Amino acid sequence: MTIAGPQSGSLTGHGAAGGAVQPTGPGPAPPRRSRLGRLWPWFIVALGVVYFVTPLLGTIRLSLRHNKGTWEAWRLMLGNDQMWPAFGQSIVNGLATILVSLLIIVPTAYWVALKMPRLRPLIEFITLLPFVIPGVVLVLALIRLYSAPPLLLTSTYNSTRVVMICAYAALSFPYMYRSVDNGLRSIDVRSLTEAAQSLGAGWPTIVTKVIFPNIRLAILSGALLTFAIVLGELTIALYMAQRTLAPFMADIVRNKPFEAAALTLIAFSVTWLSLGMISYVTNRAGRRT
Amino acid sequence: MSVAEPVRKNMGGAKRPPFRFRWNWLGVMPFLLFAGALLILPTIVLGARSLTGPDGATTFENYGNMATPVVIDSFRLSIKISLITALVGGMFGFLLAWSMVLGGLPRPVRSLLSTFSGVASNFAGVPLAAAFIATVGRVGLFTILLKAAGFDIYKVGFDLYSFIGISVVYLYFQFPLMVLVITPSIEGLKKEWREASENLGASTYQYWRHIALPVLMPSILGAMILLFGNAFGAHATAFALTGGNLRLATILIGQQISGDVLQNPGLGYAVAMGMVAVMAVSIGIYSILQRRSERWLA
Amino acid sequence: MYGAGRSALLYDDFDQKEANHHMKRNLALLSAFAIIIAACGGTSTDTTAAPGTTVGATATTAASPDTAAGASDTTVAGDPMGALVAAAEAEGMLTTIALPHDWCNYGAVIDGFKAKYPNIEVNELVPDAGSADEIEAIKANQNNPGPQAPDVIDVGLAFGPSSKAEGLIQPYKVSTWDSIPDDAKDADGYWYGDYYGVLAFEVNTAVQADVPTDWADLLDPKYNGQIALAGDPRASNQAIFSVYASALGNDGSLDDAQPGLDFFAQLNTAGNLVPLIAESGTVASGETPVTIRWTYNALANRDENGDSIQVVVPATGRFGGVYVQAISTYAPHPNAAKLWMEYLYSDEGQLGWLSGYCNPIRYEDMAARGVVPADLAAKLPDTVGAVFPTIEQIEAAKTLIVEGWDSTVGLNVGG
Repeated sequence: MTIAGPQSGSLTGHGAAGGAVQPTGPGPAPPRRSRLGRLWPWFIVALGVVYFVTPLLGTIRLSLRHNKGTWEAWRLMLGNDQMWPAFGQSIVNGLATILVSLLIIVPTAYWVALKMPRLRPLIEFITLLPFVIPGVVLVLALIRLYSAPPLLLTSTYNSTRVVMICAYAALSFPYMYRSVDNGLRSIDVRSLTEAAQSLGAGWPTIVTKVIFPNIRLAILSGALLTFAIVLGELTIALYMAQRTLAPFMADIVRNKPFEAAALTLIAFSVTWLSLGMISYVTNRAGRRT
Repeated sequence: MSVAEPVRKNMGGAKRPPFRFRWNWLGVMPFLLFAGALLILPTIVLGARSLTGPDGATTFENYGNMATPVVIDSFRLSIKISLITALVGGMFGFLLAWSMVLGGLPRPVRSLLSTFSGVASNFAGVPLAAAFIATVGRVGLFTILLKAAGFDIYKVGFDLYSFIGISVVYLYFQFPLMVLVITPSIEGLKKEWREASENLGASTYQYWRHIALPVLMPSILGAMILLFGNAFGAHATAFALTGGNLRLATILIGQQISGDVLQNPGLGYAVAMGMVAVMAVSIGIYSILQRRSERWLA
Repeated sequence: MYGAGRSALLYDDFDQKEANHHMKRNLALLSAFAIIIAACGGTSTDTTAAPGTTVGATATTAASPDTAAGASDTTVAGDPMGALVAAAEAEGMLTTIALPHDWCNYGAVIDGFKAKYPNIEVNELVPDAGSADEIEAIKANQNNPGPQAPDVIDVGLAFGPSSKAEGLIQPYKVSTWDSIPDDAKDADGYWYGDYYGVLAFEVNTAVQADVPTDWADLLDPKYNGQIALAGDPRASNQAIFSVYASALGNDGSLDDAQPGLDFFAQLNTAGNLVPLIAESGTVASGETPVTIRWTYNALANRDENGDSIQVVVPATGRFGGVYVQAISTYAPHPNAAKLWMEYLYSDEGQLGWLSGYCNPIRYEDMAARGVVPADLAAKLPDTVGAVFPTIEQIEAAKTLIVEGWDSTVGLNVGG
């Protein structure tokens, strides 16, 4: 690719290629490039879109093949009175998990980056543990450890729900830590901290007013990933007797393939919408500062 | 306690008091306690059960039983599929992220792609397998359309229910994961660097080769280890597509500790501890690569 | 990367060895702390606890009426029954596990129980759990009084004696105990057969119009890429028993399952066998148009997804399998569990299973008394000549199939 002349300036007026996810502040400028070079991103995105949309097309067709009528699967699914409460529980769990995960990971990642960089491999190893502990083993171990007297943390539905949200936060650690760590790498943590300290800020202020806003995009990535995990998590919810989306979905998938296809698409859309709202809220908060 | 303190306190090069390290540890205590209660303790429980024989006595025989071709092959398969999907997922995911951030796409498109990546990153397991089956399975939508056009993909050797097929399906959640995790880093590339390099006469290729990629390398490596772990621990998707016939480590564990047969749970737990060990080794390798990539920047 | 140049200056006093020493010491302390917590948390949960009828049973006088009442239907509220109902309602909850609603029409059975005892909440765990999962759940929930601990289990026949040996189940003899065949129950009352079925071919005739009538038909080239097992042949009852059953139709016997493995090797070589796991969904969508499942599962799928799904019991090699019920030793609601058993073994409960195409274990007794509605009886498929393996035979066959599957059948998916 050659350097283009000044006539093909940046495509958008300011900052990086647009998108609601873009934080205000300095960002990379889209490089000037030749006409052909401008097409590459579109080509790559088009490839990506084709790959992602294709399985959904198959799912749409499957959802229209119910033996009692084309739209029967959709009718049954949308009329199912257990679906929306299950969605509600999962969404609330997702938001709560994001909160817990952020509260633990952001200060930790910041601290490790600033003060104890040699500890990073250990922290990263711990955050990757969720990948190698089988779900069934994890949930049964949690029950073993915390359900017995005197802890009795799982004796009611809601107390179990709290334990489950904490477990989900732990499951989100790989994604949240990686996102936040990547975000911290792209800002100069040391200078920012020193500047804030020289202005008299204490640690809580630094973390909330200096670090959080500067890694907003990274936090958003982590939050999106966490939310998706919570909505899709099955095994822990099953063994902890929680009525969330995934157990409900497993019930439908078992013997109702056409309704399951419709439900998959509904879940996809609801999740997408929720993530869109999280994204929107995060960016509005960003613009206000 | 300020960052500048260490310099003040130790001008004389005297042996610093160990006391200070405790304060630093305080900062990571919340994380360690939380992870300890919810991840490390279960891992210890897992380890304890892996040392238990069928009769309840403590024994190392489960680890001894791991030295069979079946178990070793399962690790080989798991590592293979994780490496492949991490590399392919990482590369194309990076390209996608680059296109989204620097590609000059309109705002709504970028926002849509970003949130879609969030959804797709966890679209795994039975629904994902069902979606692919419904599309390119033996009676999937595209299979049938292509057959009507005279082209039978299954006769040509395509098979969804194979190692390659599963790898392609895994990429469905690997690509978006890479996109989401690496986008903040690409966002963080300062436009001043690009402008400076252009002022000095560097081409786009040189900019990427000597400035942008090296700067991004630690983050890219970090993202790839995440993709590796993600694929390594995946179970439901592969199981839904091939039954137990692709003997990944996770599927092997499932066969020992779940289902309807009285198998050897101790062996399952031992294999799980083996996975923990593989993960630790991977972190080790990754850390070495990380440090080398960071050293460039110093 | 974090201002790397300056960090070197700020950390000129940073001594790596000292740091490592402190880190190691702190890690050691942390690990010791964690191990102590884990030990106190009771990780040694696999030791057999003392089983006994007295665990949690507050209504022991009502609990085990060994004398079978003449009228086995529980609507006759004799005094022991009334006390059990009261105790169960005081507990207020029953936790079940591994009961999918379309398996033997458990949906209707559970609804019937809820309608009869509206003050008892039925808490259903993990419907897709396998027998081993149910056992693991009992073990993990030993000290848990909460809703995650299963009260009752429904497991494969082989798990009855093994969980009794591990002390995980407690004995209880329902009021209709005597009408349960002797070879389907434990003499001491720890476990008891609940229903049985026969393996049959399930075919989606919209995709494959030719329905096989016997095992040998499956080798026909027209089934190329169409046959799948309904589970993982190393972990699923249906899959393993399918292989076992095919032995019966290929000059094998209940003592010799090897011909079954050889038969499936032939299927694989012919290209008829697909590695995908067949479920109701994949049969109905046509992806796996031919599979082998319990009659009750296949017929339930037909009811749900249309008459294009046909169910045929093979002409030879008819294989029957029994499942058993048991109450967990650590059940937080033992009286509700006992009431549940009473309900299941009452005529009402048994007929509930019959409506799901399962043969309830008391079928002979009920048919003799004329309690079975004719239309329900007519819906059952013809299973004459089905053979039922003993527990020892099951164990031997399972070991053979699980260990021999890879080497004999070699269903290799690459990699």
